Amino acid sequence: MTVRGDSRPKPGPLDYLSRWPLRLWVGATTLFLYAPLLTLIVFSFNQSRRNIVWRGFTLDYYVMVLQDASLLTAFANSLVIAAVSTALSLCLGAATALLLWRFRFPFKPALEGALSLPIVVPEICMGVALLVFFTKVVPWPTNLPWPLNLGAIIIAHVSFSFSFVASVVRARLASFNREEEEAARDLGASEWRTIIDVIVPHMRPALFAGGLLAFTLSLDDFVITFFTSGPDTITFPVKVFSMIRFSVTPEVNAASTLLIVITVALTAIGLRLQGADAGRDGHTG
Amino acid sequence: MPDMTPVRRQRPHRRSLLAALGASGAAAVGLSFGLDGCAPSIRRGANGEEAKLNFYNWDTYVGKDTLAEFRQATGIDVNMSLFANNDELFAKLRAGNPGFDVIVPTNEFVTRLRLADLIVPLDHAKLPNFKNLLPEFQSTIFDPGRRYSIPYTWLVLGVGYRKSKVDGPPDTWKWLFDSDRYKGRISLFSEADDLIKLAAKYMGYSVRDVPDSLLPRIEAMFIRQKKNIRVFHEDNGQDLLLAGDVDIVLEYNGDIAQVMQEDDDLAFLVPREGTIIQSDGLCIPKGAPRPDNAHRFINFLLDPKVGAEISNTIMYPTPNAEVLKLMPDSYRNNTAIFPPADRMAKCEYGDFEGVERSRLFDELITRVKAA
Amino acid sequence: MAEQNEESWRKSPGLFAALLSAPTMFMFAFLLAPLAIIWGYSFGRNQGLTDIVVDGTFANYAHALNPLYLSILVKSFLFAVVTTVICLLVGFPVALAITFARPSTKPWLLLLIMLPFWTNLLIRTYALMAVLRTQGYVNGLLGFLWSLLAHLLSALHLGRLGAFAPLDLLYNNFAVILGLVYVQLPFMVLPLYSAMDRLDRSLLEASLDLGAGHLRTILQIVAPLAMPGIASGVMVTLIPSLGAFLTPELLGGVDSQMIANVIERQFKSANDWPFGAALSFLLMYMTFAAIALQALLGSRRRAA
Repeated sequence: MTVRGDSRPKPGPLDYLSRWPLRLWVGATTLFLYAPLLTLIVFSFNQSRRNIVWRGFTLDYYVMVLQDASLLTAFANSLVIAAVSTALSLCLGAATALLLWRFRFPFKPALEGALSLPIVVPEICMGVALLVFFTKVVPWPTNLPWPLNLGAIIIAHVSFSFSFVASVVRARLASFNREEEEAARDLGASEWRTIIDVIVPHMRPALFAGGLLAFTLSLDDFVITFFTSGPDTITFPVKVFSMIRFSVTPEVNAASTLLIVITVALTAIGLRLQGADAGRDGHTG
Repeated sequence: MPDMTPVRRQRPHRRSLLAALGASGAAAVGLSFGLDGCAPSIRRGANGEEAKLNFYNWDTYVGKDTLAEFRQATGIDVNMSLFANNDELFAKLRAGNPGFDVIVPTNEFVTRLRLADLIVPLDHAKLPNFKNLLPEFQSTIFDPGRRYSIPYTWLVLGVGYRKSKVDGPPDTWKWLFDSDRYKGRISLFSEADDLIKLAAKYMGYSVRDVPDSLLPRIEAMFIRQKKNIRVFHEDNGQDLLLAGDVDIVLEYNGDIAQVMQEDDDLAFLVPREGTIIQSDGLCIPKGAPRPDNAHRFINFLLDPKVGAEISNTIMYPTPNAEVLKLMPDSYRNNTAIFPPADRMAKCEYGDFEGVERSRLFDELITRVKAA
Repeated sequence: MAEQNEESWRKSPGLFAALLSAPTMFMFAFLLAPLAIIWGYSFGRNQGLTDIVVDGTFANYAHALNPLYLSILVKSFLFAVVTTVICLLVGFPVALAITFARPSTKPWLLLLIMLPFWTNLLIRTYALMAVLRTQGYVNGLLGFLWSLLAHLLSALHLGRLGAFAPLDLLYNNFAVILGLVYVQLPFMVLPLYSAMDRLDRSLLEASLDLGAGHLRTILQIVAPLAMPGIASGVMVTLIPSLGAFLTPELLGGVDSQMIANVIERQFKSANDWPFGAALSFLLMYMTFAAIALQALLGSRRRAA
């Protein structure tokens, strides 16, 4: 506990990071992780159709992205799908977490098993299952007005993200002290009020974490959306995939950079609000 | 059950986070409504259909300004989605038309789609520009009277190559299918039917009614050749050639003609054994939400000036007589686009030979790819 | 878990029903039903060009157990294992370094390693393509260095170098494994870090005081104690790698297909949904087997 931190001039025996082999290792790993992304971002400003030689700075491709109607529609679709599926996931996930935390019932292990399916089943299996479901079994009408036609994709996203929300919220509920709830009951609150006024506030941080997780998962999802989307319901990652498959220009770089910036910004907001002290109280929660 | 939560574990602290999430979610929805400006209200044209069109097309297969010009002329917004090969198109439609109005299958697949009841007959009364087509395209074996499809282009598969990296023009299919001379520098198209029929052509047979006894030989040849192939491309062979990822590629004449404009070192030829002629047609799938718009679009594409602009961009041979009159000599005399007569004499139309056959072909190639 | 909080559902049946209804209905309708339908299709056949008839046939599974497809399943498993091992070897020292870093730098380091995880998988794979292709950044850099070397050698009259032959880094198995490691590495580091963070430092200090070297301490004290984290990290890396689709699709060559690509082809171009369904379920069984194995090993260790 006192080995590191105090001894700044002389690092303690466990301060591995101060040793050059580990520094080199961590540095090399970071380089490996970031170099491709950084080159992608840098070359989105490159004034050349071929991507290797730097020919000058330009914002042309960003202009192209912002003028590409199909890309913007895809992006709008992605945002709406993410927002709606996050809202639904939060409701379903919180309800499930509460259920599993509070009650004991006969088929509880089965429910827990079913909940773990979306996390465990490979995405491609979920994708093809939902493809078959939404085309053969319960055909989702194709000429619904926007945004109702995104319903199939929204449902697909909710089905894989609400389990994540449920497990995050459940972990948080584990630390809830039931005495607070009993106190509220003693003071005359009904079951429902107790939940809203006592339990939900306790869940809030986990709801946030779960919500952020669900939002990002939905925004980034490719495989499941690839199978369930149609020409009117293309999302941003699926559109970018089509651009990569067919005509690779720096426009793809520009679009990718924008997506990176957005996801990083969301993460930054989330982590900033939580306090970047994830390491300090490593023994709680 | 492994505890997956540590992966995503965040330290919960603040309470305003939920409010923040709510705010950002509302902002996201608001922003998206703003971006997709016309979303809440649907524009309708004079024909009562929504002023929109979903066009399912090959990549690099339309003029630069074609869709914009269509919008200007008719007020209809065209939303173009791309597919890489006919198999993909078929699979997408087979599951139920997800909203496409116009599609561009190759002739064999026109037959297949018709047999599977996935396309609808066209109303020629709405297609006055039909008369612009060359006589031989106004009625064909695979679509008598052009009831189901309107020809968009005709095309041949051949060899695209980088002149400086090959020993002389690769005048035979052997270098793509059956030799390790260009090991690691080869890319083949991934469509099952075409690969098998071209292999039969290489072995000296016709592309129609490939004998069953030939199939194991073809399969063995491709499996042998696999180690020399760098990648199976999905209609982007010309990009790979241009980028230098491969030096010799099985591709369509127009695609290679397009990249030849950007790089003088590239060339195209039809091997001496001959090849398949194909024709891509415009069709309207069953369940198209806007068939009237679809007819207007198809008619628009048959217009001479529009067709000329398209041909100038995509560099494919056109079946439209009026367009040919408008094209420059550099196009008409381009041997990449219009192969020389002696080679054309060796070309045949392929044919759809029944469900079982195509399933057999599919499986063969899947086995090759999986081997 | 928190069993003292549990009470029988009979105590508040109203609340129980309210909480149970929505999630269960949703799960049945949109999770279990689709999976069940796919399972049904795996026992079906194609009929005509578009229909499927489910007649309880095992033909699809028999076809899937054909050595050809089995070899792809095995190859996918091998790729996943190799990826996991590499991630473990690369990620373990990184996790170690972060665990014992100063409290002020720790969160930044964590953020640094985790940030790529938050970016889109597709974009990360595409970025790697640009780096690895024949006229990509790696070959560009190497070519540049080669020409420098050539100039140097010719300036010193030490002979001539031939033309630079670009390395074949893309469209092969190497690229697929590199791509898989690239996208999975952050997934491995966090569980490792979480587990190591909970270690009792005094144990390590005691070990060092008693004269064991650092390497020994790590191998014999840290690793065993962090085993739950290692197991978790292995699972979180192995399973997605097994079912990976994008990485082999974009980065792979003719021989680098993994099972997810074959499944996709059955649904997208080969038009054989029953067979694709059978393959999907084989993949799922493999996944479940891997999890069961991990649970088994985990409980045995806990018992031991």
